Amino acid sequence: MGHSEALILELEARARTMSDHCLTQFCTFSQGHVGGTMSVMEIITSLYFHHIKFDPKNPDWPERDRVIMSKAHCCEAIYAALVELGMYPEETLGTYYCYGSPFQGHADRWCTPGIDFSGGSLGQGLSFAAGLALAEKLKMKFNPPSREDTFLPRYIVRYNPRFRTYCILGDGELHEGQVWEAAMFANKFKLDNLIAIVDYNKWSLDGPTNDVMQIEPLVSKWRAFGWKVYEIDGHDFRQILDALDLVVKQYGDNRPKVIIAHTIKGRGVSNWEELHMHLGRGDEMMKGVREGRAKYGDME
Amino acid sequence: MATWNKHVAIGEPAMTYKGVGNAIKAAFIKDPNTLAILEDMQFPEIEWFTDNMFERMIECGIAEQNGACVAAALAAEGFVPVLNNFLFASMSRAYNQIRQSILVDRFNVKFISREGVWGEVGVSHATVEGIGSLRNLPNLVIMNPADIVEAEKATEAMMQYIGPVMVRVELSPNPYTIFTDDYPFDIGKAYSLRDGKDATIIATGYMVTEAIKAVDLLEKDGLDVGVLNVCTWKPIDEEAIVAAAERTGAIVTAENCSDINGLGDAVACVLSENLPTPLVKVGVEDEFGQSGLITPEKDELMEHFALSAEDLAVSVRECIKKKERAR
Repeated sequence: MGHSEALILELEARARTMSDHCLTQFCTFSQGHVGGTMSVMEIITSLYFHHIKFDPKNPDWPERDRVIMSKAHCCEAIYAALVELGMYPEETLGTYYCYGSPFQGHADRWCTPGIDFSGGSLGQGLSFAAGLALAEKLKMKFNPPSREDTFLPRYIVRYNPRFRTYCILGDGELHEGQVWEAAMFANKFKLDNLIAIVDYNKWSLDGPTNDVMQIEPLVSKWRAFGWKVYEIDGHDFRQILDALDLVVKQYGDNRPKVIIAHTIKGRGVSNWEELHMHLGRGDEMMKGVREGRAKYGDME
Repeated sequence: MATWNKHVAIGEPAMTYKGVGNAIKAAFIKDPNTLAILEDMQFPEIEWFTDNMFERMIECGIAEQNGACVAAALAAEGFVPVLNNFLFASMSRAYNQIRQSILVDRFNVKFISREGVWGEVGVSHATVEGIGSLRNLPNLVIMNPADIVEAEKATEAMMQYIGPVMVRVELSPNPYTIFTDDYPFDIGKAYSLRDGKDATIIATGYMVTEAIKAVDLLEKDGLDVGVLNVCTWKPIDEEAIVAAAERTGAIVTAENCSDINGLGDAVACVLSENLPTPLVKVGVEDEFGQSGLITPEKDELMEHFALSAEDLAVSVRECIKKKERAR
């Protein structure tokens, strides 16, 4: 709680650079999942540049926090973060969608170090994240930390998890039945090291998410599945950081957590916001890119 | 009586599932990272597991899609998850989950899947299309053992292999015990039970037992028929198949599943590319399974689907005629 003004300003600057990186990726083929990428930008920025344990020099570090981008069509935002962290040179952004590029159309763990999950087929990320969280619990159970790992006597020690798993879900993705199978599973195994974040931008490809298929009442749904629920404005850094700190502090309560982040599809670019643009193509999208460039970066 | 190659000693019928159970038990004792993924469909040797490995049993309930992705994640963290279910539930229901979350990243997940047309279970459980639909997925090794000895050895090999592997356990009457304990099993290698001169039956799983019966039937007619056991469907042993075709010049394939995209089609492709040979496929012909009664005298489904030793013998004679016509 109480994050410094300097930190917020720094993250805002990062988010602007990240947005600019995403615009570069959209330009390679004049195509991209602009809506969901722009709506999740502040969340990804908060995770990668402040909150999670992640070493860009050692992306396979066993104790890194796992970020599972279940809505993997918006992997542009993660690619932007990996570039900004120095894992890939900035030129890689221009190879997005290209043959042989580490920046594939949908996130691919096999060819992109730094990516934890090959997504794209919606609904599977939360199950995978729950599996990772369970693996962490099992490792802790089979190989508990030794007494030497801590200075405190064992009876007052509350161990931190070796790693946490964050799973970013789209709102339309919640139509998938498998998400709710995973929600039951996480509750059964008491995965308090698992944090789901719903990017609730209210729009799917075919129309408003709740018209396509009603997901409301969302908060009570998650609660009924045994999860702790937090609701925030997904574009407000203070709220995001506070919520993330809060869920981390609650470790040990045996309950998985979900942060429902209210967001705006295509956020930051008026044209995309008005059209609730999902997959941007051609002139309509490039108009937005020009607006975004003027706002976030240098016009090249 | 027919003579057989080394490592073959035809014995009493025995349950293949038992062989799988023995190998799984041994693997769990040896490697502390193995985990049993249950989907409310039991597990081989479940009593032993409940008594000795309770901590390593992950019960996922009747939620196979979630189960597959959880297994993928556990494998990503260095565990070796073993999934057990009917093929229609664990693999067909979770087909895309297995493709996307397991095979794309080559995660070390093991599958034990039950399939086949026999018995009372009916059309839902007695699937015939599963293995054909999985054969075109990259990175998956598929095995279909013929007897209890091979089942144990194949399962042992599956647990040693690094990468996704499926062992298919057939719903069928118990097959003969075919191999001796020193049978050298290797993933990707077919084994010739008997070389033959007039034709070769290329069989898999339970149908190897029917092929053995057919060899005796045909011997009475003075025909010398070989049997090639193909346990690994993928990668398939092209060398052994071409060698069999060279030797006898007439091939009959036998499988307890759909003959579309099955073993017959795989063998046909290998031969068309390397050594075009007269071929007759025996399998389930584009039809769903159903319930049927099995008694010592009669097996209703074997009769219905024309998969018995007598049917195989008819196909072998037909194939030999094809060969003679082609000369």
